[in-house]
Amino acid sequence: MSGWRNKIFRTVALLFLALLTISGCTKQESSKNAVAPGPRIVRLSQINEPADLDPAKAALPDEFFIIRALSEGLITSAPDGTPRAAAAERWEVSADGLVYTFHLRTDRSWSNGEPVTAADFVASYQRLLTPATAAPKASLFYAVKKARAFVSGTETDFSAVGFRAVDSHTLVVTLERPTPSFLAYVASGPWIPTNPRVVARHGIKWTRPENFVGNGPFTLVEWRPNQRIVVRRNPRYPSAAHVHLDEIHFLAFDNRDTEERAYRAGQVDVTMAVAINRLEAYARERPAELHSAPLAETRYLTFNTQHPPLNDVRVRRALALAIDREKIVTKVLQGGQEAAFRFVPRTLRGNEKPGAPTAWTLKYDADEARRLLAAAGFPEGRGFPHLELVGWANTPVLEAVQAMWKKELGIVVTLAKREAKVHIAALRAGQYEIAFVTEIPDVADALQVLAEFVTGASGNHPHWSDAAYDALIARAVAADDLNQQTALLVQAEQRFIDAAPVAPLYFNAKNWLMRTSVRGWQEDELWSRHYQDLYLDEK
Amino acid sequence: MIRFIVRRLLETIPVLLIILTATFFMIRFVPGGPFTAEKAVTPEVLRNLEKTYHLDQPLWRQYTHYLGDVLRGDLGPSFKYPNRTVNEIIADKLPVSLELGLLSLIVALGIGLPLGVFAAVKRNSWIDYVCSSVAMLGICVPTFVLGPLLVLFFAIHLGWFNASGWYGPLDRVLPSLTLGCVYAAYIARLTRGGMLEVLSQDYVRTARAKGASGFRVIWRHALRGGLLPVVSFLGPAIAGILTGSFVIETIFQVPGLGREFVNSAFNRDYTLVLGTVILYAALIIALNFAVDVAQVWLNPKLKFE
Repeated sequence: MSGWRNKIFRTVALLFLALLTISGCTKQESSKNAVAPGPRIVRLSQINEPADLDPAKAALPDEFFIIRALSEGLITSAPDGTPRAAAAERWEVSADGLVYTFHLRTDRSWSNGEPVTAADFVASYQRLLTPATAAPKASLFYAVKKARAFVSGTETDFSAVGFRAVDSHTLVVTLERPTPSFLAYVASGPWIPTNPRVVARHGIKWTRPENFVGNGPFTLVEWRPNQRIVVRRNPRYPSAAHVHLDEIHFLAFDNRDTEERAYRAGQVDVTMAVAINRLEAYARERPAELHSAPLAETRYLTFNTQHPPLNDVRVRRALALAIDREKIVTKVLQGGQEAAFRFVPRTLRGNEKPGAPTAWTLKYDADEARRLLAAAGFPEGRGFPHLELVGWANTPVLEAVQAMWKKELGIVVTLAKREAKVHIAALRAGQYEIAFVTEIPDVADALQVLAEFVTGASGNHPHWSDAAYDALIARAVAADDLNQQTALLVQAEQRFIDAAPVAPLYFNAKNWLMRTSVRGWQEDELWSRHYQDLYLDEK
Repeated sequence: MIRFIVRRLLETIPVLLIILTATFFMIRFVPGGPFTAEKAVTPEVLRNLEKTYHLDQPLWRQYTHYLGDVLRGDLGPSFKYPNRTVNEIIADKLPVSLELGLLSLIVALGIGLPLGVFAAVKRNSWIDYVCSSVAMLGICVPTFVLGPLLVLFFAIHLGWFNASGWYGPLDRVLPSLTLGCVYAAYIARLTRGGMLEVLSQDYVRTARAKGASGFRVIWRHALRGGLLPVVSFLGPAIAGILTGSFVIETIFQVPGLGREFVNSAFNRDYTLVLGTVILYAALIIALNFAVDVAQVWLNPKLKFE
């Protein structure tokens, strides 16, 4: 019997050695294969399967990752947020700020050869604003005259809406009122045009690869849901010579771990994210492949101001001041996030004068927090009710906040997690006490972010109401000068932070893995991507 | 026989109707709707969306409307994917799940049956212990551990396979192995148990006494009876392999229907939830029926009725 066992043991050991030897050989071979010349392909991870590739139907940045490779709007935004010419080569604004004239490039055509005309843009926008299209992001057009009325059906004549094609290459847009940040809206994804003839011919199926027609640097050649989307260089794109890649593959991943394994197996060149617990290992082992960039995303706690004792501003401020935000970003998250002492992210503050006020921001001040809580009737947290802090995902951030409140204020909160849509529905209905929320602006417009907190607005999760704040926002909406508007918004934000219906925690950052051969990667803080400068350094 | 089949088919209709109705109303009562998003759409946009998908109508009318569509074989448009219908999504993804399921079943039976038979024949020997231990291990190690381990070794370390995806034939290996192994473990244990019982029966002893070879005794006489517990297990197991492949589909990024089944509920994609539920309900009913027929065929003591 023992002889048998020995034999088996020896066989297994030999097999294992053989496997290791083979693995050594295979590894060398695969690295040889990687140098072989071929089409220049970059493989990007795509975490969310796009609902559609129709700019009128898409709502998530993830969908526009792909749409922006396939089509381009009048303008885009450069990484620093300034408008950059795209389908329009230049534009003028009338002296009263009401009329924008866009001059389209004359050398642009759709991928089926038809010229791109101003009438195509008007027809695309008409379709997007038509109630039956039910475009989720139609609100990004509301600055345009009568656009909102057309979406809601009170205006049925599209010629009353502020879009007009003067000739084949001149598009005139008339606004409802002067809108200083209007170009940021024009650069947003839903303003990307669709070919009206193709849409009319194929209906909702026009985004299938066999039907797809765009005006961008790439064309759609394959879309296998939950597998991959392949786009290939569009030879009709006039600057095609400047497009350095032959193909981009968007590979679908539902799961971050699956994505990471695919990266390690060499199947993906650029990932969407790196898990918090892997950051340290990658920083140590592959520092050249680990990248980090700030995002214009505010993660904050919202207090239900209808729920005592959170209806007391002293309690809310005490809770907000007792959070050591620097510690959260440096000790807990460690991924390049920035502590948020105010609400509006940095990219959206571009027009503020340097040295903007900081006295009103939410610096960590435990003594002041304790004083405020005692003044509200809860000295050292005595008698403070047991509240629930609810989020939609497991995050160590909430545990840190829970511990800080316990340590500094002596109050106990329980943590809870709700499924994402249940969480959002509860926020809207005011069925929560304290909740963790994220704010990702659609466009670089501080007004849009702050306007969500006026009385009764759908994004007003704290169900907070302040007449002076509402008045400031109303004045900012009516302001026709950017500097004047910015000053009003700073004032409004100051009031907002002082009243503490929310406690901003941190401005999020993006961490991702990218092979060293991928160069020219461009993605701004609002997730808007630009692929023309992307290339492979094959040395 | 025919009466049995007809009766079973007729029984299916009310069962499916109850499942459809219950699902239809349950999913509507879950908080949050298909258009609930972090960034709320403006009220007029929400109205337009609800009108497009007939969500502005009273619930009973939506129900009768949907029932009429289903009877015509139309499962409706997907709420989440505006350019695809539920029929298209199912037609696209069911074959993938079926392929994965079939391959896993082959793995499960190919490993499980011999393991169980060997263990039973060499009862209480080291072969039995090895087989039983392997089976126990298979039951204890969940797919979300086994899958990533296989990927780590065969895809990342050895580079033999892709870590994920469903492109070429090689991409079928790791997912079917992972899913198959768990079921192989159950099958091995059930086969061993079934075979042990049969091997002690008189008719097996008689076959031995008549001089039949060991192989013939097992293959011709014992196996048919020994497989009965496996067959009863296979009905729900096949349904489980087809519906419960969500974890495998996520680990290996397989574009199958299992993930749609789960994700559609998260997306509140009402029509897709209903479509997959109806499909899986019908599948489970059909498989249970097939098991009943197979049991009668394998066990002469049973009769239809």
